[in-house]
Amino acid sequence: MQRPSLIRFSGGMLSALASLKVTLIALVLLFAGVVALYFDERFHSDYLAFPLGALALNLLAAIVSNGAFRKQLWLMVFHLALLTLVSLLAVSRLSYLRGTLELSDGGEFTGALVEQRAGLLHPLEKLQALRFANLGFHIDYVPGPLPHGIRNLIEVRDGSGIPRQMEITDQQPLLLAGYRFYPTTNKGFAPTFDWRPTGGQSITGTVNLPSYPVHEHGQAREWTPPGASFKLWTQLQFDEVIVPADRPSQFHLPQKHIIVLRLGEQRWELTPGQSVDLPGGRITYQGLRGWMGYEVFYDWTIPWLLAACLLAVGAMGMHFWSKFSARPWNGEAA
Amino acid sequence: MNELNILWAALVAYVVAGSAAIFAVVWRRRPDRFVLGLMVLGLLLHTASIGMRWERLGHGPYLTMFEILSSNIWSLMLAFTLAYWRLPAIRATSAVVMPILFVMMGWIMMTSSADGFLPSSYHTVWLFIHIGFGKVFLGATLVAVGLAGVILSRPTARGQRWFERLPANDRLDDLAYRCMALGFIFESLMLVAGAIWAQDAWGRYWAWDPLETWAFLTWLTLAIALHARITFRLSPRAGALLVLCVFVLAFLTFFGVPFVSMSAHKGAV
Ligand code: HEM
Repeated sequence: MQRPSLIRFSGGMLSALASLKVTLIALVLLFAGVVALYFDERFHSDYLAFPLGALALNLLAAIVSNGAFRKQLWLMVFHLALLTLVSLLAVSRLSYLRGTLELSDGGEFTGALVEQRAGLLHPLEKLQALRFANLGFHIDYVPGPLPHGIRNLIEVRDGSGIPRQMEITDQQPLLLAGYRFYPTTNKGFAPTFDWRPTGGQSITGTVNLPSYPVHEHGQAREWTPPGASFKLWTQLQFDEVIVPADRPSQFHLPQKHIIVLRLGEQRWELTPGQSVDLPGGRITYQGLRGWMGYEVFYDWTIPWLLAACLLAVGAMGMHFWSKFSARPWNGEAA
Repeated sequence: MNELNILWAALVAYVVAGSAAIFAVVWRRRPDRFVLGLMVLGLLLHTASIGMRWERLGHGPYLTMFEILSSNIWSLMLAFTLAYWRLPAIRATSAVVMPILFVMMGWIMMTSSADGFLPSSYHTVWLFIHIGFGKVFLGATLVAVGLAGVILSRPTARGQRWFERLPANDRLDDLAYRCMALGFIFESLMLVAGAIWAQDAWGRYWAWDPLETWAFLTWLTLAIALHARITFRLSPRAGALLVLCVFVLAFLTFFGVPFVSMSAHKGAV
């Protein structure tokens, strides 16, 4: 006696879950979520998982139970592709990585990112094993000034042990183990220092000053030499206009410049080769380089997302084609 | 004659064609061949003007507001001229469609025709694919808006009189639905092509920038409209209101967002 009512109950649940009204409500919620995302900074795009999850459940139930899909094959394919798309997006959110890094000219990527966001299941060791070096870059500017094309020479050091050089651009990234590295217009100047702690080995390093020309008037940064216990304020000063507003140009290092160091009340001006004695060591200014900011991006789902999209659109086209070609466009309505 | 003069000549041809079509509806005349001839003439002149500017600047009409308006007036006129030619029964929808185009024509006359600078991300075939799909979408939606406008104005005495020769509402509604279905396919293609381009150009296929957000909302509205038809067996009137919603959103996306957006994706569609 119990079973038929149980079956009826679960059948009722299924058809309630598969209801087209639920679809409309979920679509409206998705709409509201996207509007919230646009107007409210606190709303994170991950919250869209709720309406999308509801749509996926609703659709799954409908595919199982709604006869309209069995009668209209292409409509079914379209909705299956949509379901695949939503599932892939979920996988993508779990496995992606997006980050930024900075490399001065000559500097090597050793796995450290400045910023990073990654899905819960992203294996970070994979990225940390990758190696490439920045050998210098060119950025053309058109009047504005507006950047107009980035070319960056790099050297890749992969497992083969043989370094290979190549040029990447803001359109053509370096592709390493599924990770894409794009050079960006976030770049600037990097004074190089040699720091010799008293009685210790000297260490060479660069200080990446704020992005140029975005922070044209803020070319200063505080940093701590390795092992020291103070913060050294470092500023780059020059008069040259690097990227003029009124004519084409190229990003380049200023020809004449000085480095200003400040520690408490003390202030020094250095040109390349000059040194200063500081508490705990001696610092030598070696010269200026450029630094390049990269964006790194990993998402293995991309080609599958594209395939699902194309399948969806193709199936939708077939659905409407078979529906509309039955009656001519300037014929009578059904 | 330079490209601007030719453009003005094209606009004059459109305006005369459109006005004649509107008068034809109001006074119940049928100067259809005259209207169609002028529309085609306008399109030819407009094509020449766009071609000359393209040749002179070395890039197509997709950078400045002037160029965006010009190329969209061109594609929308093309879409409506095709509908006017192939679907004689609904020619009177010009009384709804042409005023919308007149607004855009007035707008372009107040817009500076100065040149813009081509970002390097625009050197790709995806630009044309993305923009082309967008234009088909907007063109199909515009034809649907003409039909929706007729359906919505019929309850009024004037609407009743003007549009009495047009087919019954359910037939118009069916045609509008077909246009929306066509629009849905091309809007989907536009989003996919845009995502491919964004992945190529900026290393991310989707980032909810203002244009992406509004284009997606337009797509969702279309999906809601198509679904609502099936779920509730909507009346032609309700269907027409949904068509208007889609068009308003699409119009804001195409021509409003480029004004407020500070992102790289300036929406030169
Ligand atoms: C963003 C998500 C969705 C989009 C864009 C979408 C789009 C569409 C479109 C364009 C049609 C064809 C309408 C026509 O032939 O005029 C359709 C039909 C249909 N959709 Fe969806 N859909 C979505 C989600 C769903 C979901 C979650 C369900 C789950 C119940 C669903 C169930 C159906 C059914 C059953 C039909 C066929 C109705 C019939 O012909 O009787 N759809 N959908």
